[in-house]
Amino acid sequence: MAERLQKTQAMQRIYLDWNATAPLLPEVRDALISALERYPGNASSIHREGQTARSVIERCRRAVARAVGAPAQAVVLTGGATEGNNQVLRTHVRYTQGAHIVCSAVEHPSVLEVVESLAQQGVKTTIIGVDRAGRLDYAALERALDDGATLVSVMWANNENGNVYDVERIASMVHAAGALYHTDATQALGRLGIDFRAVGADYMTLSAHKMGGPKGIGAVVVREGLVLEAMLSGGHQERGRRPGTENVPAAAGLEAAAKLIVTERPAWTERLLGAREALLSALNEHAPGFQVRCDPENYLPNTLNVAFDGVGGEDLLLALDLAGVSASSGSACTAGSLEPSHVILAMGYEPGEAKRSVRFSWGITTPARDVTHAAQRVGEVVGRLRALGVAGG
Amino acid sequence: MIEKSEGIDVNNTQTDASCAAPAMSLPDDDSVLDSLVRDRVVVAMSGGVDSSVCAAMVAQAGWDAIGISMRLYATPPSSYSKSCCSPDDLFDARMVADSLDIPFYVANYQEEFQQRVIDYFIDEYRRGRTPNPCVACNNHLKFDILLQRSLALGAKYLATGHFCRVDHSGEVPLLRTGLDENKDQSYFLFGIPREALSRIIFPLGEMTKAQVRERARSLLIETAEKPESQEICFVAGESYKDFVAARLKEGQSKPGKFVHVDGQVLGEHDGIHNFTIGQRRGLGLTWSEPLFVQAIRPDEGTVVVGPKKGLFSRGLVAERCNWLSFERPPGPLECEVKIRYRSKPVPALVTVGVDPMTAFVEFEEPQRAVTPGQAAVFYRGDEVLGGGWIEEART
Repeated sequence: MAERLQKTQAMQRIYLDWNATAPLLPEVRDALISALERYPGNASSIHREGQTARSVIERCRRAVARAVGAPAQAVVLTGGATEGNNQVLRTHVRYTQGAHIVCSAVEHPSVLEVVESLAQQGVKTTIIGVDRAGRLDYAALERALDDGATLVSVMWANNENGNVYDVERIASMVHAAGALYHTDATQALGRLGIDFRAVGADYMTLSAHKMGGPKGIGAVVVREGLVLEAMLSGGHQERGRRPGTENVPAAAGLEAAAKLIVTERPAWTERLLGAREALLSALNEHAPGFQVRCDPENYLPNTLNVAFDGVGGEDLLLALDLAGVSASSGSACTAGSLEPSHVILAMGYEPGEAKRSVRFSWGITTPARDVTHAAQRVGEVVGRLRALGVAGG
Repeated sequence: MIEKSEGIDVNNTQTDASCAAPAMSLPDDDSVLDSLVRDRVVVAMSGGVDSSVCAAMVAQAGWDAIGISMRLYATPPSSYSKSCCSPDDLFDARMVADSLDIPFYVANYQEEFQQRVIDYFIDEYRRGRTPNPCVACNNHLKFDILLQRSLALGAKYLATGHFCRVDHSGEVPLLRTGLDENKDQSYFLFGIPREALSRIIFPLGEMTKAQVRERARSLLIETAEKPESQEICFVAGESYKDFVAARLKEGQSKPGKFVHVDGQVLGEHDGIHNFTIGQRRGLGLTWSEPLFVQAIRPDEGTVVVGPKKGLFSRGLVAERCNWLSFERPPGPLECEVKIRYRSKPVPALVTVGVDPMTAFVEFEEPQRAVTPGQAAVFYRGDEVLGGGWIEEART
């Protein structure tokens, strides 16, 4: 183990896959470790151990609420965004007569596949397409609303192409039609300012681990007056909406992350943007001949989805890994092989073309030099692949 | 095995004598092999014992080893019909790679495998021939796209766990049989592009299967006791006839008549894909002497049967030949030819026409059941000269 760690360090790896998951922020790590020792109790117990554990949960709830501009009572802690997305959509169907769920074609599978499965159960659903830059088809959204949509789910920011959607515009369109708006803000958290009240969303789902928080914890933010039904039975935790013993250490970590968001987020966005500019210009220098696949006007400051001319994404990804750069392409299946990204496919690329996409995503603890070093290594690898002529779609 | 060049820092070199690899014929002079970046070797890992030992040997010889498993087909659909399978084999390979502390990747070649192997497999049966999917897989998957991927990763060699050898001692690399006669797999490898031989190593070529298992045990490789794989991996658990029948499109199944060589119609059958040359069992015919399939005529759907003596041919024509020892045979070749995996090479005279892709083979002694669709592989002693696909028997 120690030997393996040494090897890894010697390689000076560059981790550019934050949209998959991120290394813990140092403050989060400290909070987690100290919580593992300090809070042995069950947050639902009435004794002192229980009381201190409970206070961790409630402090976390308040910190999250402050970080995203919502009242504390609106925050329901969950195991993550996949759970939250399932819960929001399934609750809506159960409590809405003639439910008609609408979502974009570029949603995370934890929305898209739930919608597909609800459709199979006979629920009316509509999938809204995007254009070549991944921009939402607002005319189609309008039609779906006219067609009696009851809940619209469009993510705040996309995990694969980095696009940031105009959540305020969508929310007002949706509300004008009398429907509910849900947004998965997982990829926006800690990268963009999030104000739940200002946007006027009805449900918002979050996960902590993409921005340096702990894995296995997230939240659903629910507008007052709306139901969020438990997916499981067997406990009163989170006021009956999320049964099961609370994950106290993860809550302590999430609290630390949320507190940082409140004080640091604007500076973080600047820092991430700087890295994006640096990466783009270094790629132009070292690996010219690529296209960026996103909405150039509105995309995350930490994400770049790139296709290099004449280079297959999988070849590039593997070669980059061996060169010490961790990036991603599409989504890995259970067995570990790559499928073309459904997001890039939805943007209208053929599967072979879609497979050329490589996604770089970084975070606030990514050293500034990393992105330029990464671009140099990309240049070397892309150069070799092009020279070998083995690359392709 | 492979001598690695000096002066490269190797963290994991095993000095334990029991783990020392046997000598392998490869120049330790890197000058002939210097066009690639690093001392990197990609190992094709199936999750079986052979390729696991192969990976261990490559890694322990100090190479910068990388394991790749090819994902070739989806396991039968479960509830998540579109999501991918999780074949246990890939997990086995991953565990072995992890225990060797080498990077491991899964390459998704399902589409290519479907086109180049499964479609071909079905198509050959549809045409009344008997396909050899392992050769097709080696030609189009392992030693084409996987080799290309290996080069893309900067590897100097692709290593596989085949029982076969590449002799790098001469001017041009030569393909030679594996030393374990029972396991020799050179028959399946005749189609390797000649120019690719210099990029391929077979670390198990000088070992016996028993030695490989022994090595696996001593290395505590998880898959040491894993049974041998199925003969046709993608038909596993099903009969190949059912597999083919299920995939023939409407109107492609060719039912027809059994006709005796003397012209007499003996009965009906429900599809030529159920038969192979030399087949005796499962014909469902009663006759005064044992009957064997002697020919299959796809156009009319006829299966010609007759007594054993009619099964013998004096020669064959092979198409789409690949030559390994030379670009084309310098003249008529006195060599040995092997016409199916489980038969011994027999003496023959091989000539090619203007186009060296077509070879005419005359056996010294008539041979039984020359089967179109199988490979004819040409040997001189332990050297694999080349081979081709049997087009027709010559009587």
